[in-house]
Amino acid sequence: MDYSMEDTQNSAPEAQQANKLNPSGQKSDNQSVTKRLQAELMQLMLSPSPGISAFPDADGNLLSWTATITGPTETPYEGLTLKLSFAFPNNYPYSPPTVLFKTPIYHPNVDFSGRICLDILKDKWSAVYNVSSVLLSLQSLLGEPNNASPLNAQAAELWDSDQAEFKRHVLARHQDLDEE
Amino acid sequence: MLSTVPLNSGRRRVCGSVFSPAALEAHPKSTSDFQREQTPVASFQEPTDSSSTFRADSQSTSFATIGGLTDAASPEEDALNQARQVAKEFLSVPNLGFELLYDFRDTDGSQVLKGWNRLSPPSKETAEALEYLMRTSPWTLFEWYGNDIRRHFLVNLRTGLSKLLKTPEEDGLLRTIVDCLQLARRIYLAPVVRYVLPLIATSHQGGFLAQLQSAFNTVVQYSLPWKKISPLLARELTQDAVVILGIDTLDEDFDADRMSLDGMEMERGYSVSYKDWRQELPEAQARMMVEGEDSCVTIARDRLLEFLNGLQLVGLGGDQAQKVFANVMNIMMGDFIRAAYASQWESPSTVPQHLEQWVENVYARLAVQVLAIIHSDPAGTQSGAMEVSLRDVEKWKEMGISRLGKLRVSELFDVVVDWPTSSGAVEDLRRFTSYSSGARLYVTHFFSLNLLQRLLHPGASTVEILQVYISIIRAFHILDPKGVLLDRIARPIRRYLRDRDDTVKVIVSGLLADPATTDGQTATGDTLAELAAELTKVHQHSLQSNRSELDYDDIYWLPDPVDAAPDYKKSKSADVIDSLVSLFDSKETFVKEMQTLLADRLIQKRPNYDQEITVLELLKVRFGDSALQACEVMLKDISDSRRLDLTVRNDQILSGYRKQAGVGRLHAKILSRFFWPEFQEQEFKVPDEIAELQGRYAACFERRKDSRKLMWRNALGQVTVELELENHTFKDEVTTWQATVIYAFQSDSSEPATITIPELADQLEMTTPLVRSACLFWVSKRILTEVHRDTFRVLEILPTEDEEHHAHAAGDFSDASDSEAGDTANAAAAAEAAAAAAAKESAEAAAMEKMNVHWQFIVGMLTNQGPMALNRIVMMLKIAVPGGFPFSNEELREFLGGMVSKGKLEIVNGGNYKIVH
Repeated sequence: MDYSMEDTQNSAPEAQQANKLNPSGQKSDNQSVTKRLQAELMQLMLSPSPGISAFPDADGNLLSWTATITGPTETPYEGLTLKLSFAFPNNYPYSPPTVLFKTPIYHPNVDFSGRICLDILKDKWSAVYNVSSVLLSLQSLLGEPNNASPLNAQAAELWDSDQAEFKRHVLARHQDLDEE
Repeated sequence: MLSTVPLNSGRRRVCGSVFSPAALEAHPKSTSDFQREQTPVASFQEPTDSSSTFRADSQSTSFATIGGLTDAASPEEDALNQARQVAKEFLSVPNLGFELLYDFRDTDGSQVLKGWNRLSPPSKETAEALEYLMRTSPWTLFEWYGNDIRRHFLVNLRTGLSKLLKTPEEDGLLRTIVDCLQLARRIYLAPVVRYVLPLIATSHQGGFLAQLQSAFNTVVQYSLPWKKISPLLARELTQDAVVILGIDTLDEDFDADRMSLDGMEMERGYSVSYKDWRQELPEAQARMMVEGEDSCVTIARDRLLEFLNGLQLVGLGGDQAQKVFANVMNIMMGDFIRAAYASQWESPSTVPQHLEQWVENVYARLAVQVLAIIHSDPAGTQSGAMEVSLRDVEKWKEMGISRLGKLRVSELFDVVVDWPTSSGAVEDLRRFTSYSSGARLYVTHFFSLNLLQRLLHPGASTVEILQVYISIIRAFHILDPKGVLLDRIARPIRRYLRDRDDTVKVIVSGLLADPATTDGQTATGDTLAELAAELTKVHQHSLQSNRSELDYDDIYWLPDPVDAAPDYKKSKSADVIDSLVSLFDSKETFVKEMQTLLADRLIQKRPNYDQEITVLELLKVRFGDSALQACEVMLKDISDSRRLDLTVRNDQILSGYRKQAGVGRLHAKILSRFFWPEFQEQEFKVPDEIAELQGRYAACFERRKDSRKLMWRNALGQVTVELELENHTFKDEVTTWQATVIYAFQSDSSEPATITIPELADQLEMTTPLVRSACLFWVSKRILTEVHRDTFRVLEILPTEDEEHHAHAAGDFSDASDSEAGDTANAAAAAEAAAAAAAKESAEAAAMEKMNVHWQFIVGMLTNQGPMALNRIVMMLKIAVPGGFPFSNEELREFLGGMVSKGKLEIVNGGNYKIVH
């Protein structure tokens, strides 16, 4: 009992201190996030990869972006334009961005609200990934879904059984967001 | 002397015989006169009420008493009355007009006095009556006479005087008035002084006289409104004070006039001029203002003092005159300081000493003399008390110094511009600012305003501003070593300089300028060579001046001045370079500019680069090695490449490549691309021979330095060209592209080669403007001629004078050699213009290149965010592009318009741009 008291007493100031330090730490984080995102944007602009593109939203803090993927050839998504949203956390790149498909998409690893099941966006995330690598991964995910852990079981099944039917579903669900 | 008693009885008898008991009625004229004139007297005493409420007047009471006494006439009183009557008869002033007075104002007055019957001695009877009165009741008589003076003045003189006052202001008007008044005063007082006062005890005389005097003074003051007098008085005072204080002699024109009159410079022992004073020895200086006064000064002084005496006598002196005098002296002080010290900026400055001496010996002297006359004591007694105490003199000196400070502040901008020849002025100012923080505030406030008006505007070049800023730093360092004033002054300048694009460039080129060639002269045209000199000069102390505020061993430590700004930080020293470099937030901007300029200089062909090395070493002392690393690498590249060039050459010789005839030698400068700034260059194809040489050179280089690759920068460099034509030769150093163009004209055939510009452009892969510029260059050198537009031919045979003459004579008769010179000059000018055009084109291409990066941003933006309007695009670009978006809305609109016409964009509803897939 005595010891636990001591413990709480000892730990309390530390916690407080952490709290105190937090805002300033976050601030500097914010700056470094902005810097990093700016660098990524510059890289995307200077060496654009075909089929992917991304740009910050107009809110001015660079923490939310919109990205565009063109469906790869020889996949059911060929010729489609798919929009995604990126939301970067304050400790980016140490945590992954939250990526959602804004365009309705029919895909084994994407659910109906656009959430994506991709390991590098979850536990396999590493600070060396960036917007362009995430987009490239997503682009390849369109052609090679991971049917082992589907979010959309029907799609996973169809992908394996009936490609034509799958494509019909894809086209039926697809709907361009351009003219919003 | 008669015994008292018989005289008494005699007088009584006489009185009785002459005057009837009803004395007043016996003189109806004078009485009626008197009665009639009551009204003005009343208005005099009750100016607000001019209607005749006269009865309360003291005068009338006294007469009433007399009248009353007459009624109850005891013999004693009767006699008294009669005596009074006689006395009044004698004393009363005849009602003569002002004109008379005016006409005689310049005389000594005796004539008038006689004319007015003021000097004739009283008859025996009168004398007796007076004596009797004096013994019995002198007061009544004097009181009456005082009133009579007023009456007379108001009736006879007042209108004349006010008429005189109304004459349009002219010099000496007041003197005339004072003369008149003085005469009047004598008329009034003469009989009294002469015949009445001796009759009473000496001890009482003063009192009675003063009574009359004050009666006169009051009426004078009343009838001459001070409002009108004071400007006249100020005028009179100014006129003489200017001479007495020596201000007139300071006027250049005045001196010139006098000198031309005299034909030679006057030997003047006496002078208040600061210039003369400076040249004297200290002992002579002390005497200069005390001894040997100019005759004109003496005359003026006497004139003034006499005038003031009169003024005081007639009652116009006193407090009010003192005020006017104070005003005049105040103005004089300013005038003197302005006249004596304006633009006298020599160092060391002795202006304050001179000023103090002047105040003490000239200014205070006049003040003492004048104040001794017009003091406020109405009795006119010369009191022994000094009107001017030493403390006053000290105060005047202080005032003088502040005025001097004010003058210097107003001159400060010019002082700074003339720095360092004007350091004396700053010494004066320093004395001024040491008085109070108010003075310091005044200096900074005023000077800042001045700067805004005169310096910080688009009309001033950056070099000028920097030059002035440097002078300001130096001047204010002397003015205020603590640097608080400088801190305040410098803020707006620094803010302004930061906004100027070319500030860095000017500073850096100034640093790199050659101090040896520009020694002695400061800003030359567009470089600030002074900075280079400064750099070598100051760097010794800059090392030791790094003392912090917390140096506990510093026994000269002082706290920051009270008026220091909260974020004030003392600059280490008057270090100009530090101040200039610290203009910018980071050293990066500075270093970057340094790199660009250094690059330009290093790729030029020169025997050595000692100057650059020195500057770089000096800068390293300031900035540290790391900041200037890139510059260092650049310098190292140059020295390395010289060695490398030698080695490669040796290799070539060893491996058997001999110098072939017709092919020149190739030297290279090997630059580490990473550390050099981007060069704007025009790409073109070098002649095959050169390319081969380059290839061989590169091969040798790569053998020496593994895994390094040479990239040739063809446009940077110089070529020594030797041309042999039929009858003339040419040898000079030209740029690579000029050499390439002329090389293309080389041919073996005997016919001179003729090539057109498009051909050349094709052949050399060079832009047309550049080709044209090169061709025109050669035309100016008389190697090519332009046979048709854009077609050039080698000028193998230089036309002889005669031929040329003929050619021109055929056309017109203008002077051949002239037109020839004109032709070449024209061609040279054209070549330059063409080169400029080419440079512009390449700059435009570079801008286009930059725009392409932005195009990527625009594409990304429009792809992801959907169609956008122009404004929104600009806004987003400003946010997203690192370093901001350098183009205007109009430029972007044009660019986007181009993209629309190329089919990459389309304009959708509401003018939004949309990407075309």
